[in-house]
Formats: sequence, C-alpha cells, structure tokens
Amino acid sequence: MQLNKTGLIFFPAFDWSISPTHPEREERLLYTRDQIFEEGIPDSSYIREYKPRLAAKEDIRRVHFCVPDVEDQTTEAHLISAGSALKLGDALMKNEIANGFVMARPPGHHAMRVVHGNRGFCNTNNEAILVEYLRRKYGLKRIAIVDTDVHHGDGTQDIFYHDPDVLCISLHQDGRTIFPGTGFVHETGGPGAYLKNINIPLPPGTGDKGFLRVWREIIKPVLTKFDPQLIINSAGQDNHFTDPLASMRVSAQAYGKLTEELQPDIAVLEGGYAIETALPYVNLAILLAMAKQDYSKVIEPQFEPAAVKQDEGITLYIDDLIRYWQDALSEDVPSKEDLFGEGKVYQRKKSIYYDTDGIRENQQETVQYCPECPGLYQVSSTARDQVGRGTSIWGLSIPLFVCDRCLEKGYKMWEQAIKEGKEQKTFAYYYLQDKKNDNYLKE
Amino acid sequence: MYIGIDVGGTYTDGVLIDGSKVIKSVKIETENNLSISVQQVLAKLLLNQENKNISRVVLSTTLITNMLAGIKKPPVGMLLLPGPGTNPRSQNFCSDYILLKGAVDYRGRIIEEIDFGEVDNAVKYFLDKSITSLVVACKFSQRNPFLENRIEHYIKERYPQVDVAPSNRTSGLLNWIRRANGTAFTLFVKNEYDKFMQRFEETIAEHEINCPVYILKADGGTLPLEIARQYPLESIFSGPAASTFGALATTQQDITGIMLDIGGTTTDIGLILNGIPLMAERGIYVNGYLVPVRALALSSLALGGDSAITHKNGQLGIAPRKGKACYLGGDSLTFTDILVYLEKSKLSSHPKIELALKEISKNIGRTAENIAEEILNQFIARIDEKIEEMFLRWEEEPAYRIFQIISGQETRPQTIICLGGPAQSIGSILAQKRNWRIIVPQHAEIANAIGAALAKTTLKMDVLIDTEQGRYSTNLPGLSGALSSRLLTLDEAKTFALEMFKGKCAEWKLVTADKELEDIEIIYEEGFNIVRNWQTNGKIFQIGLQIKPGLVNLLNEGTDAIE
Ligand SMILES: [Zn+2]
Ligand SMILES: [Zn+2]
Repeated sequence: MQLNKTGLIFFPAFDWSISPTHPEREERLLYTRDQIFEEGIPDSSYIREYKPRLAAKEDIRRVHFCVPDVEDQTTEAHLISAGSALKLGDALMKNEIANGFVMARPPGHHAMRVVHGNRGFCNTNNEAILVEYLRRKYGLKRIAIVDTDVHHGDGTQDIFYHDPDVLCISLHQDGRTIFPGTGFVHETGGPGAYLKNINIPLPPGTGDKGFLRVWREIIKPVLTKFDPQLIINSAGQDNHFTDPLASMRVSAQAYGKLTEELQPDIAVLEGGYAIETALPYVNLAILLAMAKQDYSKVIEPQFEPAAVKQDEGITLYIDDLIRYWQDALSEDVPSKEDLFGEGKVYQRKKSIYYDTDGIRENQQETVQYCPECPGLYQVSSTARDQVGRGTSIWGLSIPLFVCDRCLEKGYKMWEQAIKEGKEQKTFAYYYLQDKKNDNYLKE
Repeated sequence: MYIGIDVGGTYTDGVLIDGSKVIKSVKIETENNLSISVQQVLAKLLLNQENKNISRVVLSTTLITNMLAGIKKPPVGMLLLPGPGTNPRSQNFCSDYILLKGAVDYRGRIIEEIDFGEVDNAVKYFLDKSITSLVVACKFSQRNPFLENRIEHYIKERYPQVDVAPSNRTSGLLNWIRRANGTAFTLFVKNEYDKFMQRFEETIAEHEINCPVYILKADGGTLPLEIARQYPLESIFSGPAASTFGALATTQQDITGIMLDIGGTTTDIGLILNGIPLMAERGIYVNGYLVPVRALALSSLALGGDSAITHKNGQLGIAPRKGKACYLGGDSLTFTDILVYLEKSKLSSHPKIELALKEISKNIGRTAENIAEEILNQFIARIDEKIEEMFLRWEEEPAYRIFQIISGQETRPQTIICLGGPAQSIGSILAQKRNWRIIVPQHAEIANAIGAALAKTTLKMDVLIDTEQGRYSTNLPGLSGALSSRLLTLDEAKTFALEMFKGKCAEWKLVTADKELEDIEIIYEEGFNIVRNWQTNGKIFQIGLQIKPGLVNLLNEGTDAIE
C-alpha cells in the first residue's frame, strides 16, 4: 500500500447519453480517455486506478427525495457515477490513497434535495451523496465542498443550505448571464448555517488571473477558518476559454494551479463541454496536480496568452467582489436565535425549473429553530410538466446531528402527516429522511 | 499429430499428441544454448516414431526472457515527440532519449511540425555514443503515423548505418511509453531472435516435418513462425501461458479455477474464468519497464521445488536455488527434499535429507519434523498471498462501460488446478488443508507442453474509425490509414472492421479454414456523434473484434488424480 498515490476512477459511460446531440453524451470523455491512456496515466506509479461500483438506493435516499422513487430518477449510469465517488471515498478513508479524482459521468451538482427530473444534466448529486456516506460510515463531521464549475452549484447549495457542518463554496459565472440564474452573494445559508454557503459570481470574461485571485483571497481564508476534515472539489471544467456554453477565459494551467493549492481530498468531475479543446487537457492538469506531478507542459494547442487575458474592467469588478467578501466575512455573525427571528421558524418559497425535462417545481421549505441542533426540515413540493400534469409531495428531513427532542418530535410529525395524508390525500407521496438512524420511509 | 515444446528456465518439455491422446512426452534439463534443447527434445519425441504425420508444431521459449535478463538499459536511443501533456522526464523510458518538436493530437491532427535540425543533432548525439539503434516515438502515432514515418525515412536516407524503428509498427496500443519501450526492446533482441528462429526452422527441416510451425505468445495465442520473427517480444513469458492452456486442455474447456504451476525456481498463478484466462490487456512489465505485449494476468513467486531452505538467526526461510538437491545426492536442502521427508512425494528419499535437516535442527533447536512442517506452511502461505493478489486484480480490473459493471459481480472460484513437478504433493496438501476443489490432472508435469501443442491462433483488434478526419487506426502494429469510403452507420463501420480483421488473419495465416472465421466475435461496438455547434459533423466508431483464445483440441483421457 502506497499512501502517496492518487486514486482514479475513470468512467466515461460510453454507453449512456441524455440524447444523441446533447452535450452530456457518450463522446464527452472520449478524447480525455485518449489523452490519459496515451500518456500511460493508469500505469503510473503515482496513480491507483479503481473499478467503479454501484451506489445503493439507501445512499441516494440519504440525500434526495426522489419522486416517486429512486429507480424512477436514476439509471444505472447515475448509480455508477455516485458509486464511483463512494468507492474513492472508501479508499481514502482506508488510507489506500492520498486523494482521488472521480472522473465519471453523468455529473450531479445541479440535483437538489427534491428530485422530480433532470436539471442541468443532473439527476442525483454525487458530492452530496459522498458527503452523507462519509459522515454516516466514518463519523466525519465538517466537510467543505468547493465548486469550480462555471455554473452555480445550486443543487449542492440547496441540499446543505441548513447544514452548519458542510461549507459550500461556489465560484461561477454570474447567474444573470448563465444557467441556472442563481448563486448570488446574498445566498449565504439558512439561519442555522449562516455563512456556510458562499457564492462568488464572476463576470463573463474572467481569466486565469481573476479565477486564481478569488481562490486565494476569498475561498482560501474561509476554508482555513472552517478547518474542514475533508475537502471535496466539484471539478467542473467549463470555465475554460473554449467552453461552448460559458464565457470565461480560464486555462488548464490555472485549473492545475488551483488544484495544487486547494489540495482537495476528492475531486469529482462536473461539467465541461469543450470536450476536445478543454477536457483532455484540464482533466490531465487536475489529475497531475493532485498527484503532485509536473503539469506545466499540459498546454492546450489553442492556448495563447490573449485567450486568458481579462479586461481591466473585469479586474476592477473582481477587486470589488473580493473586498465585499472580505468585509462580509470579518463582520460579527448574529446569533442563530436572532437569525431565525420572532417566529423561530424559517420559511421560504422557491420555484425551480428543470431545463432538461421541462418541469416547473414550486416548493415551500420550513426549518424549525432548535438551540441544540440544526432543527427539523420540511418541504412540500409540486411539480408540473409542460402540459400541466403534476405531482405533489411532502418530505421531512431529520438531520444527522439531531438532538433527542427534535428526533422524537420528528417521528410524531411523520405519524401525524401520514395519518392526515390518508384522510385528506393532500400529497401523492410522503417521505421521511432520518439521517440519524439511516432510516428512509415513503408512504 | 501435434507437437508442443516448452523451453523453460529449468526444464524443456515436449509432447506428441495424436488427436486427443498423449503419445509420448519428454522432459530434459534446459541447456545454455536453447537451440540444442529444442533439437534434443524433438529428436527424442520422434525417435522410433513410425507415424510421422505431424500436422502442427508449436514452440514456447524463454529465449527473450533470458536475453533480457540483467539488461537494465538496452543500448538503444529514443527520439521522443511528446507534444502537450505530462513531463516526459518523469516517465519510465527504458533508454536514453532526446525530446523533439512535432506533435499529433488524439484525433490524429498534426499540431506541431518537425524540426529536422533537431533530428540531425539527436542522431549525431547517439552516434557519438556508438548507439546505432534508434526508436522514434510520437504521442498518438497510431492515430497518425506521419511524423514518426517521416523521421524514419529522413534518418534512413541520411544515416544508412542506423537501424531505426517507429513505435507505430511495434504496436497501436494507446500508450506511447509502452510503445517506445517495446520498440527499444524489440530492436535489442531482434537479430539474435531471428538467428534462433533460423536454427529452429532448420531443425524442423532436418526432421522432414512439413507442416505449419507456430510460436506461442504471452497471451496464449500462436503466430506462424515467419510472422512471429517480426515481433520477438510477443513470445516473452509464453511459458506460463503454455501451462494455463495446459490446465484447460487437461481438465475441461469451460473450467473456472486458479492455475497453480510449481516449477523448479518459480511458481506461477493464473486465473481461468469459464475457460478464458484472465488477461493483462494493456501489457506487462519487462525488467521494470512497461511494454505493449498483451499477456495473461499472472502472479509469480520466485519459489519452486528447487528453492533452498535457509535459516538465519533462528528464522527459517526459502530462497532461490544454490546447488544440487539432497534427494539427488547433493548438499542443498530444497523444498522438494522437504516434501520427500514428509512423505508427500513419490520421489525416493536420500540419507542426505535427514543429515541436512539435523544440521538445521541442531542450530536452531527445533525438531526436524517441526522444521519441515514450518517450511511447508511458509510455502503455502506465500501461495495464498499470491492467490489473494490475483483475486484482487480480477475484482479491481478497470471497467469503462455500464454493462461490465452490472454483469461483473461474481464470486471467487474455489478450485485449484495444480501443475508442474511437485503438483501431486502440493495438490494433496492443499486438499487436506481446505475445502476447495483440487484438481491434479494427468500429465500435470508436462501440461505446459500440452498447452503449447493445443493453443489456438488468436487475434484481438481494437479499431477506431473517425469519419470526420477520414482516418482509422488499430491496436495492431502498422495498421492505420485513410478511409477510402465514407462510413455512415455502425453497420457499415462493422463491415469495414470485419473485412480488415479477416485481411489481417489471412496475411498472418491465422486461419486455415473458412470455418474458423465463424469464431470471430465482436466484443464491443460503439458509434459516437461528433457534435460541433449542435450539428453532427461525422462519427467516431469504436469496434473490438477477436478470435477468442482457446484450444484446437481437448485431451479426452481421464484427468483428475485428486478431486
Ligand atoms: Zn457546468
Ligand atoms: Zn434539536
């Protein structure tokens, strides 16, 4: 057993796609496969390659309310993609590897807690599934997720929005200019997890310089303060200067540099749709940086300094953004009680659009204040497709680090909800997610 | 009748098979000059043999292994064209190299031109060091060999004294380090290998044998002698392949189990799943360097019947052989002596065994019986370790397609097929120690030669067709080029690949009857749309074809001594 190896699962899913011309199709990792195989990466002394495995349904239920059930929202490819993350998580915790890169598809960071369909090419959230699995199995508590995909990691944000022990940081192209249209600085986490959700919306045209500056001047200090037991990188590669879906100007070299400095324990491939011009090089640079190898020669054939140069105006904007966050993070944090306010209940209405499946979801979330624990979380959600057919569900989530009182109260709420449900049929399905006892029910 | 010969490190085995019966077998100690061993075995096999109607001769030899033994760095120079990517200075190349400009990408597009001034300087650098064999290796040369071939021609024209070989003609495997190393080792061994093959052809001719002659490869397939001459490296490690196919031939064609071959100085462990040996698809290590030779996945232990028993500071151990074994009247207490002492072997005892054991007994203060038992346990523990390693390797074999993961959940087999000299003894001991099914086939001691005699010709081809670039490439040496017709559908691509596969089979004389062409199977087939700006711009097809490894015939004699 060599402790300094980087674990790799390469799972291109050559037999899975959303549709033949969809960006998330079989060809996506083909050229990456060519590059890493031709380089002899799987043979290298610093790499240990693992075989993917399937995630169990329980692993999905620990994170998601899949409507109506897990098998309706996941294909085998989803279970393998999530299972690959779990496999490297196990290898890491067993000290077989120093860190690991899950280079699998399909991606997952747009998948939220309630899953009615596919959004942003995602159904289930691989990073969230990994976090809950590691906390359950190995007793970890504080985990940080740093999302470097060009799109806001809205699914990951949604899942951990009320969890004070999971720090979610996402840097991305400003939501006013790109899917999913969220990820602004004021989305800072629920009252029980204030400032445990950090968004860094960057202007289109941000280059290597801005990308690395926000890492060094915002993300790094936040991470240091949080002192996580584990860092997960949602390693999307669509900030690349050739990506067809985004407008950023980041190179493979900058991705390598960020990875080298961030030192993620596990990196999970997310988006990146310049499958020829970016992916073979960015994937290689990230992998080499994780393995502490020289990545300085991983230079795209299209690379020229002008391609990653950002305008002066952008530099000034980023200066302001850094100042904003430095100020916000140095202020005193109000007490949890104050943040919950008078009613001691947090309520939020949200409307979510599933771009791939054309579904509109309306949901209402409720979190109850508890001085002892993160509190009980309830959600009611109705999703309608384009012709107006709809499904309504209700879900109750009991957090992993729940207090005894809330746990008891949670089961009482559950009993009452299903009793009422049987009489009034308000919702088509009722879900209970008890993370403390790893108990997942559906009525 | 078939003849199979396996020239191993310690023994050379030969067998004459009529249909499915072993007519005659020979085992001699291997000479320093392997050609002499081949001659002797062949002469003994055919001595007083009236029916000389030989239809097939297959040779497995350890020649390449011997030639490369102790060679840290073949005296070959490398001209490397890395292009963008990893730093070649941190890679494990087996020879000195010079880095040159010129690059090809994964689609076979030339993204950087050659600087011939650099080529001249590199050649001169090696000539100054008296190195006249040069490898040219460019990343993605199987996708487009143009740059490698261009440099080859340039050097041939200007430096006739140089023997230059481009890596694309050694292999088309997607791994430039393996291709470069494989080409360097090939350049180093090819002349001597060729001479050996020449002598072998003469020996065959002297015996008036007039049938196809094959060389066994590391993956258990066979190549006709004249083709095999061009690819010497393919015959490396063919011995364990011979044993594995021997295990198949002497048991059942669809057996699942561990192959355990205990030789004089090494023990090889392989895995057979439903009659198919587990493969190391990407290739193997030679002297610590990776080469693109497809081989059986094997775990080897540097221990065998001739290994010597040692003791140091009261600790017992087993080490490589030192001298003649006690049961043969020598002074070296070997593992076989231990088996004889414990009455686990049919070999007759010799007073020297007890003498040697007493000596150790005196030194470390334990009884002879106790010592013998511990040695036996140590040996079995080392085998167990290797079996575990083999299982892990099988279970962790990377998979890149969904179906492989869904279907891949199998349980570990609990069957061991014991081969080699001490097979009988070890087999009965293992049978006592655990609940597994232990098979010691008849002819276990010459199963390797049987495997060689009966191994089928095989071929595996991975084809990649890129209709946008108008090119195809394969894993086979030198087989890539421009598409002459536009392939639009997966079916058209499959027909194209199949025709190419059949063409290669004919060129390499791999099939002798049309019936054998029916054995060709497609192992995977995929079509990818190349989409640019939401438009389909052509397709990439990936198709894998093979003639499965297997046997031309099975032995139908009673097999198992122990079950
Ligand atoms: Zn993205
Ligand atoms: Zn509580």
